[in-house]
Amino acid sequence: MLRFLAGKGAQYALVLLFAVTLNFALPRLMPGSPLVFLAGEDVGFLTDDQRTQLLRSMGLDQPLWVQYVRYLGNLARGDLGHSIQKGRPIVEIIGERLPWTLLLVGLSLAAATLLGVAWGVAAAWRRGSRVDLGSLGISMFFESVPSFWLGMIFIALFAARLRWFPIFGAQTPGAGLAGWALFVDTARHLVLPLATLTLITIPVNFLIMRYSMLAVLGEQYISTAKAKGLAEGTVKYGHAMRNALLPVATVFMLNLGFVVSGATVIETVFSYPGLGRLLYEAVLNRDYPVIQATFFIITISVIVANVLADMLYPLIDPRVRRAH
Amino acid sequence: MPTNGTLETVSHRARLLASGRSAEARRPARLRGRRPIGLVGGIGLTLLVILTGAAVLAPWISPYNPAETSGNPFEAPSRRHLLGTNDIGQDILSELIFGARISLAIGFLAALVAIAIGTTVGIIAGYFSGLVDTILMRAVDVVLVIPFLPLMILLAAYLGPSFWNIIIVIGVLVWARPARVLRAQVLSMRTLNYIEAARALGAPTGRILRLHILPGVLSLSLAQFILAASNSILIEAALSFLGLGDPTAKSWGSILYYAQVRSAFLSGAWVWWVLPPGLVITLAVLGFALTGFALEEVINPRLRH
Repeated sequence: MLRFLAGKGAQYALVLLFAVTLNFALPRLMPGSPLVFLAGEDVGFLTDDQRTQLLRSMGLDQPLWVQYVRYLGNLARGDLGHSIQKGRPIVEIIGERLPWTLLLVGLSLAAATLLGVAWGVAAAWRRGSRVDLGSLGISMFFESVPSFWLGMIFIALFAARLRWFPIFGAQTPGAGLAGWALFVDTARHLVLPLATLTLITIPVNFLIMRYSMLAVLGEQYISTAKAKGLAEGTVKYGHAMRNALLPVATVFMLNLGFVVSGATVIETVFSYPGLGRLLYEAVLNRDYPVIQATFFIITISVIVANVLADMLYPLIDPRVRRAH
Repeated sequence: MPTNGTLETVSHRARLLASGRSAEARRPARLRGRRPIGLVGGIGLTLLVILTGAAVLAPWISPYNPAETSGNPFEAPSRRHLLGTNDIGQDILSELIFGARISLAIGFLAALVAIAIGTTVGIIAGYFSGLVDTILMRAVDVVLVIPFLPLMILLAAYLGPSFWNIIIVIGVLVWARPARVLRAQVLSMRTLNYIEAARALGAPTGRILRLHILPGVLSLSLAQFILAASNSILIEAALSFLGLGDPTAKSWGSILYYAQVRSAFLSGAWVWWVLPPGLVITLAVLGFALTGFALEEVINPRLRH
C-alpha cells in the first residue's frame, strides 16, 4: 500500500516537474526576446536602454540556472506573475475562475460515472440484445462527436430557440440576485454546459463498466448465486456490479484528463467563466503568462484529483490494502 | 506501472467489445466475431473512402471556390447553394469539401508523427527492458496524466498557428498510447524462438530489431495509426475551433470557429452552418475508429478473449 502510494507520488512529481520546466523553458527557448512573451508585445516600442533595464528588473540577464531557481521560488510562494493584458496578479484571476471549473468538472464527473455505470450494468445484463447493441452504437457516436459542436447545438436549440436556458455565462450579470433566486439562476446557467460535458464523458464509463460486468458475469460464483435461487437484483447489484466496479475506479485517472480537456472547450462555447475560458481569452489576447499559469494550475488540479483517487482506491479494492 | 497496464488493456478490450462481437458469443469459436467485425470494418472503410474521395476530388466536385463570395450572406439552402452560405456569402458545401483536405491531412500526418515516435519508443522499451524501459515508460505515464488539451493550447500558442505546427503539437502528444500497446507486443515477442535464436547466433541488436521485431509489430502499428488518426482529427477540430488553426487553410474545425465567432447558433443559420461540419467530423472520427477496431481485432488475436 505504502509502496503503491510512493510509486504514484514519484510519477506525479515527474509530471509536475515537466509542467514547470516546460513553462520556464518555452518563453526562453522561442526565437526572439523572451520579453515579448513575458512582458507583452509592446516591448517592440522600447528604446535599447529601456529594454536592458526591463530585462534586468525581470532578472532575465541572469544565468539560466539562477533564473530557474528564482522561478521555482516564486512558484513555491504562490507567485504566478502578472497578466499582461489585465495588469493584475494572475493568482487573483485564477482564484475567481477555478471554482467554476471545479463545479462544472466535479458535477459532471459524478453524473457521468453514475449514469455510465448504471447504463453499463443494464446493457451487460442483456448482452447481445437490441438494447445492448443500440447502447453500443449510441456510445460510439457520442465518443466521436466534437464536444464543442454538441454545445453549439444545445445553445441553438434549448437557449436561442426554446429559451429554456440562458445563452452564456455562469450568472446573470448585474441582476443583484441573492439567496434562492441566485441559486436558481446559477443552476439554470449550469444545465447546458453540464449536460454537454456529461454526455461526452458517459461513453468511456459505459464501455468499461459493460466490459467489466461481462467478465464478472462469466465467473462461477455468479452461476452459484443464481443456482442458489437468489433474487435477480441481489445477483446483479450485490454480486456482479460490486466486483465489476473496480476498473471504473482505475480508469478515473485517464478519464480526468479527458474531462478537463472537454471542459476547456465547452467553457469556451458557453462563455462559462472557468479556467478553460480563461485559457481561451489569454490565447486571443496573447497573454502568455496567463496561458502558462492556467496550464500549470490545471495540471496541479489533475494531480490533486489523482492523489485523492489513489488514496480512496484501497478502500474499494481490499487486495491493494493487503499487498504491502 | 502495473495498474496502468491493466487499465490500458481494459479500456482497450472494452473498445474491442464495443465493436459488437459479444452478440456472437454463442457461435462456434472459429466463426466467432468474423461477421460483425467485417460489418463494422466495412462501415468504417466506406466512410473513409467517401470522405477521402471528396478530399482528393475537391477541385472537380466542389460547386464553388470556397474562398470566393458566391452568394448573399446567410443564404438558406437552395438549388444554387445546397448547404447555404456563411456570413460573407461563401458556399458552405464547397467549404466542407475543401475542408476535408485540411482536416484529413492533419489527422493523417499527426498520426504518422505519433506512430513513428510510439513505435520507436515501444520497440526500444519492450526489447531492452530494465532502466531504458523504466525511463521510457515513465515518460509515457507523464504524457498520459497531463491534461492534453491545455498542454496543446500552450504549445500551439507559442509555436503560432500553422499547418505543420498543429501536426507537430498533436503528434508529440498522441504517441504515448500506441507506445504502450506496442511495448506489450514486443515484450511477448522477445522470448519467441526465432528471436532468441538470432540473439544466440550473435546477430547485432539493430539487425534483430529491424529484421525480426519491426515486421512483427507493423500490423499492430497500422491499427494504432488508424486509431491515432481518429483521435487527431477530433483534437485538430478542437484546436481550430479555439482559433489555433491555420488561418490560411480552413479545416472543418475552423468553419465552426467562424460560426461560433459570428454567433451563427443564435440565428436560423445554425441548421446549415453548424450542423453539417460537426456531422462530417463525427463521421470521419467514427470511420477511422471503426476501421481501427476491426483491424486490431483481426491482427491481434491476443486481445480476443
